Amino acid sequence: MEATQATPVKYDMEVVKWFTIAAAIYAVVGTLLGVYIASELAWPFLNFDLEWITFGRLRPLHTNAVIFAFGGCALMATGFYMVQRTGATKLWSNGLAWFTFWGWNLIIVLAVVTLPLGLTSGKEYAELEWPIDILIAVVWLSFGLNHIMTVAIRKTSHIYVSNWFTMGMIVMITYLHVVNSMAIPVSLTNSFSIYSGVQDAMIQWWWGHNAVGFYLTGGFLGIMYYFVPKQVGRPVFSYRLSVLHFWALTFGYVWLGAHHLQYTALPDWTGSLGAAVSLAMIIPSWGGAMNGMMTLSGAWDRLRTDYILRFLVVALAFYAMSTFEGPVMSIKTVNALSHYTDWTVGHVHSGALGWMAMVAYGAMYHMIKKLWGVEKMYSESLVNVHFWLATIGTVVYVVAMWVSGIMQGLMWRDYDEYGTLTYTFVESVSAMHPYYAMRAIGGLIFHIGTLIALYNIVMTVSTAKSVRGTNAVPANA
Amino acid sequence: MDVAAMTTNDWLGVFFALVSAIGMVVVYFMVFRPSNKEKFEAHGTMAMDDEDPIKLGDK
Repeated sequence: MEATQATPVKYDMEVVKWFTIAAAIYAVVGTLLGVYIASELAWPFLNFDLEWITFGRLRPLHTNAVIFAFGGCALMATGFYMVQRTGATKLWSNGLAWFTFWGWNLIIVLAVVTLPLGLTSGKEYAELEWPIDILIAVVWLSFGLNHIMTVAIRKTSHIYVSNWFTMGMIVMITYLHVVNSMAIPVSLTNSFSIYSGVQDAMIQWWWGHNAVGFYLTGGFLGIMYYFVPKQVGRPVFSYRLSVLHFWALTFGYVWLGAHHLQYTALPDWTGSLGAAVSLAMIIPSWGGAMNGMMTLSGAWDRLRTDYILRFLVVALAFYAMSTFEGPVMSIKTVNALSHYTDWTVGHVHSGALGWMAMVAYGAMYHMIKKLWGVEKMYSESLVNVHFWLATIGTVVYVVAMWVSGIMQGLMWRDYDEYGTLTYTFVESVSAMHPYYAMRAIGGLIFHIGTLIALYNIVMTVSTAKSVRGTNAVPANA
Repeated sequence: MDVAAMTTNDWLGVFFALVSAIGMVVVYFMVFRPSNKEKFEAHGTMAMDDEDPIKLGDK
């Protein structure tokens, strides 16, 4: 046993609580924005001729809200939680953790102000202007320094694999964010990337796909490797496989970005290399997904009664599906059909909703019970309702985008006997309408689930006796 | 392959590709070596070891 303590460890969990609550709130806001912009595409009158709420202005706000506000707060909550629990130590600096919390929230507020005003660098998943980019680097480094130093002062001999995933994310996102955001400022609210042409495209997708790889995948795999064993009550199926999973992702992911740029001005071999490594990544990704699922060996019956475990297991299923679908889409033959279509949007959301959000909620529910010292959530039934709404909403969304994406691809490249295009672009847009409506409904179902989760969390917290000091109610696992 | 035309960037790419490939081989060897099995798997229970109740630190 690694973490045997003679005296109980006192943890710095107050900041973890705040990050957890913030994540639950931002999930509601982020998905609401998603539902609204999806509805704008189906019913354009919703623009109301107001430039601040057009799709182009709100779409980056939606992506920033769900990825960096919801996802970031969930990652920081779980990162600070896991590193303390597995290291049997409190945080290296509680004050720095609070700086991270308020700094991260300040960034989110600045995003809410600037993006609807149209102040954007125009780089996907990195739209915020240069002063905010600098703030992101500072706050992210404060999180990284605190996490890594907490690992350094741990009371256990080994560094648990979840912390490796979190540290891998911290190192790589620092590197990616700084390089991708290099720009020449011309005013406080405007700047130009120092890259141009194919270099700009290459750097953009080197960042773009590695944000997926190290932040939305690596960071959340860290969550999976800690919270699945905890929730099941069994050790991870194969620790060796988890180590291999970490290093294979770390070595492999950085090569993949060019698969976003098939059939562009980039040299042909870069896209082929990206696709080849993408296909190779199916092996560690599926190895990791199987490792998580096999942790339930002998305890599958728990899925009948443990609604939190359902979130974690379905997340693993979506992880396996997305990490198969992505490499298939990177193959040039498939990419010729899928690129620039809604299929890509469906793929992204099967990962974001099915994997990232599901595993995050599984971890959040688990942590809330521990942090507030309660045996159960305010309503276990509502956890189940949330689970089904999240699952059904994700499936409806993804199926709508699969159908519309493949239809788009087929319509765009259909020729008649004279060699001219069979369909105009407008005809393809018109054909998408039922699927855009279906996508908005799927998103709305998922959004209702986030509202129920927030209500359940708030009621749990408000009715719980908070775990404070040494007289706290024990939160037994 | 025109080696003479290789730029510094090309050589850096070759270097990192080789380092990554060799690194992966080393990791595979370490992880799957039968004598290392027990050492690795001993850490698998680590997440289960923090069963103590959560107590907040002094403020």
